[in-house]
Amino acid sequence: MSMEDYDFLFKIVLIGNAGVGKTCLVRRFTQGLFPPGQGATIGVDFMIKTVEIKGEKIKLQIWDTAGQERFRSITQSYYRSANALILTYDITCEESFRCLPEWLREIEQYANNEVITVLVGNKIDLAERREVSQQRAEEFAESQNMYYLETSAKESDNVEKLFLDLACRLISEARQNALVNNVDSSLPGEGKTISYLNCCNFN
Amino acid sequence: MAVSRSACMRGGGSSALSMEKLCSLTELQQLEAAYSQLCAEEKVVDVELEELFSQQNAVENKMLSLQRMGPNLQLIEGDAEQLSGMIAFTCNLAENVSSKVRQLDLAKSRLYQAIQRADDILDLKFCMDGVQTSLKNEEYEQAAAHIHRYLSLDKSVIELSRQGKEGSMIDASLHHLQESEQRLKVLVSDKFDAATKAGDLPQVERFFKIFPLLGLHEEGIRKFSGYLCAQVAKKAEENLQLALGSEGKERRAALIFADTLTLLFEGIARIVETHQPIVETYYGPGKLHMLIKHLQAECDRQAEKVVDRFIQQRDYHRKFQQVQGSMMRSSSTEKIEPRDLDPILAEVTLMSARTELYLRFIKRRVLSDFEVGDSMAAEDVKQEHQQSLDKLLNHCLLRCTMQELIGYYITMEEFYMRESVNKAVVMDACEHGQLISSMVDDVFYIVKKCVGRALSSSSIDCLCAMINLSTTMLESDFREVLCNKLRMGFPATTFQDIQRGVTSAVNLMQSSLQQGKFDTKGIETNDEAKTSFLVSLNNVEVCSENIMTLKKNLENDCNKLFSQDLGSESAKAKIESCLADMASVSNKFRDLLQEGLGELNSAAVKPQIKPWINLFLSVSHNIEEEEFNDYEANDPWVQQFIVNLEQFMAEFKAGLSPVIYETLTSLLTSFIALGLEKVVLKSTFSRLGGLQFDKELRSLIAYLTTVTTWTIRDKFARLSQMATILNLERVTEILDYWGANSGPLTWRLTPAEVRQVLALRVDFRSEDIKRLRL
Ligand SMILES: Nc1nc2c(ncn2[C@@H]2O[C@H](COP(=O)(O)OP(=O)(O)OP(=O)(O)O)[C@@H](O)[C@H]2O)c(=O)[nH]1
Ligand SMILES: [Mg+2]
Repeated sequence: MSMEDYDFLFKIVLIGNAGVGKTCLVRRFTQGLFPPGQGATIGVDFMIKTVEIKGEKIKLQIWDTAGQERFRSITQSYYRSANALILTYDITCEESFRCLPEWLREIEQYANNEVITVLVGNKIDLAERREVSQQRAEEFAESQNMYYLETSAKESDNVEKLFLDLACRLISEARQNALVNNVDSSLPGEGKTISYLNCCNFN
Repeated sequence: MAVSRSACMRGGGSSALSMEKLCSLTELQQLEAAYSQLCAEEKVVDVELEELFSQQNAVENKMLSLQRMGPNLQLIEGDAEQLSGMIAFTCNLAENVSSKVRQLDLAKSRLYQAIQRADDILDLKFCMDGVQTSLKNEEYEQAAAHIHRYLSLDKSVIELSRQGKEGSMIDASLHHLQESEQRLKVLVSDKFDAATKAGDLPQVERFFKIFPLLGLHEEGIRKFSGYLCAQVAKKAEENLQLALGSEGKERRAALIFADTLTLLFEGIARIVETHQPIVETYYGPGKLHMLIKHLQAECDRQAEKVVDRFIQQRDYHRKFQQVQGSMMRSSSTEKIEPRDLDPILAEVTLMSARTELYLRFIKRRVLSDFEVGDSMAAEDVKQEHQQSLDKLLNHCLLRCTMQELIGYYITMEEFYMRESVNKAVVMDACEHGQLISSMVDDVFYIVKKCVGRALSSSSIDCLCAMINLSTTMLESDFREVLCNKLRMGFPATTFQDIQRGVTSAVNLMQSSLQQGKFDTKGIETNDEAKTSFLVSLNNVEVCSENIMTLKKNLENDCNKLFSQDLGSESAKAKIESCLADMASVSNKFRDLLQEGLGELNSAAVKPQIKPWINLFLSVSHNIEEEEFNDYEANDPWVQQFIVNLEQFMAEFKAGLSPVIYETLTSLLTSFIALGLEKVVLKSTFSRLGGLQFDKELRSLIAYLTTVTTWTIRDKFARLSQMATILNLERVTEILDYWGANSGPLTWRLTPAEVRQVLALRVDFRSEDIKRLRL
């Protein structure tokens, strides 16, 4: 892995109700197009895009999951290795917003603790059909410690920003972790705090 | 030139001497001079004249030839005039001719058109007559061929023909033809339906071939597909009934639904195989996908029926719910035994594998048909075809149905894996003399089995999900199990252990038996705890290895799977990514191993070794000849130290895997080197004491070299240099080894440390040491 041509590798997983536009967001970002007649995702799709931020190459592995309930057991298995989750709902669909707590429970159950979650309200080009106000969504996101962004995959609004901001956040997070880990002595087993063994109570 | 000059002279009439001047001459002398001058002038003139005369002939010749040329020139002028007239004429002629040719061309092409039209009209008549007779004789192919000819006629020609003299007649013919065309269409369609109903394949195929002649490609394929679909449906129904009837009797009863599904796919594949040539020949390449689209719809319907019966018959959903219940630990539902799930998991994966195989077959066929059909097509047409194929393959009901089944499967397989792993952990045992305990092999056997089963489904999503779930299980749950074992720690060293370390094990046994004081059970459990810790360390190491092996094997298996067909790039990338995650868990086990070793080192090794090192302090190194000889006979420290080490480490050597033991001895030697350095700096030495220490150090290094595979000299470099210093005759002798004289020796001691060590020698004067320039 070290031989490959990038400085960072991050896994981003998109989740959210069926039809909210996850696949369209990913296609817009990775291929620069709004796919016509996009069929529902079955299982998971996988795309890679390498972006450059401040001279550093960041490889983004983007996993686009199916929103439909019946494919859940396939998609859930990807949560744990995700560095970031993009939880998407459709601003013209109250129902997709009301399902968010359920999604958060899934995240709680399956994702790792350090995962960064971004809440995305998609389809803002359909402003006249909006059912969820920006303020309501922002308040909700804040209460759950999530970043919030509104996008339109169709008009390409904020899509680039969504992924690039996320990449920036992931980089700074990774840097911080590297700092913490480098404090450890390099000599194996010598003079090192035994984090695995000490993290919980001794039996 | 000569001429002009003489002429000029003549014209000027002058010599150098003018007449007046001559007349004015009076003196003889002057006259003579003038005379001679004139004579000279005359000579010159004579010469010039001579010259001119000699040229006269040539001039006359030239004049003559010029005179002769006169008439010729007149001739030439006349010729030239004539030529120009001719050219002008030719030019006119050429222009005339070419315009005639153009006219001829036009006439010719019109003639052709006329002939074509006449031909067409003849054809039209021929077609009309032909159609009618063919229809009368029920020669439908012939009739269709006529219609086909008519349809391929240039419509504008027909239109023009209608305006001609014979317009009305042609109109009538056309009318008849169109009527016949409609009639034929209906007829063929009816006949086809009748043949379908009668199940008369030759007739079905006969009329199927006629549709494209009538421009009815789509309808032909639709109708033919309808016929084929009906056959598929009939066969599928029979197979399903057979399967339901034979349930429980046959040998493959446990796979009966997978087999039924396979029969369905094989049937469709056979149909495609058999009829592709007809479609290609009569409908042209690039049309196969139309046929397959219809067939797939039937396939979807029939597959769904099979799957429905499977779900019903095998209690698939109830089993899933039970599993889900058990996973949530709301054990109100009856507990499911993992082993009982084996058959159903096998059947589902087989169903999925067959589906994948079938869809790959379809994909190959359609793609190669497109390749021929679209070789000249525009890019957007190709793309549209690609998209429709993609939709057909990835969004067909069959795939959705299978993916849904796989969804349930994954949950059950995960349960199977977790439950089996839990059992393996509960039943964990370590046979005496074994380095690792049973659960490691068991757990990896289970993981291999479960992921292998997922792989056998040929479904990439299924495989990836199971790789992910095993990664999670290994990384969190199973590692936690090992972590907990290590957390119990290596039992703290008890007094008895120290005793045993100092005296021999036999002595301990005897004393304990004599005194009857020791709770042997206590020692046993202590021993058990020790063994358990060491086994856990070994387990962790083997896990780390096994994960890498598992990953490599899966990689190979996947490559095999991909080499069989056109596995997409993105599918490969998916698996690669999931496998990379799995491989990274190997490192986490490695980290855990290092931490466990660190724990062992600081909790058991260091406290044990330290007093033995400190015993060095109780042995004086400020000694004289007598004591030195005495030490020679009765070693005061190092031999016992080595024996103690040997005994102490024997337990680890026996209980740890070679790799871990190696790492532990490395930690041990580092610790000894450091500890010994400390006690040396606390001692004092005589000259002989330095020699004694040198001997002791050499013995120790020699021993440690035998128990490790790498060189330990480096770790003892500082101590060796200290020994060198303690062995000096004089303080200044250090300069023989220092600085420019150090030769190959690299000093690991700082100048300050060198002074410090020198000061340990009681016979070295501190002034001498201070005076040293290092
Ligand atoms: N107007 C508008 N429509 C959008 C936008 N994004 C997606 N859509 C439409 O929403 C529908 C669903 O989009 P998808 O991207 O397939 O949704 P999904 O979240 O991937 O759905 P699943 O794969 O079933 O989970 C499609 O018809 C898209 O055309 C958007 O930004 N604006
Ligand atoms: Mg999608």
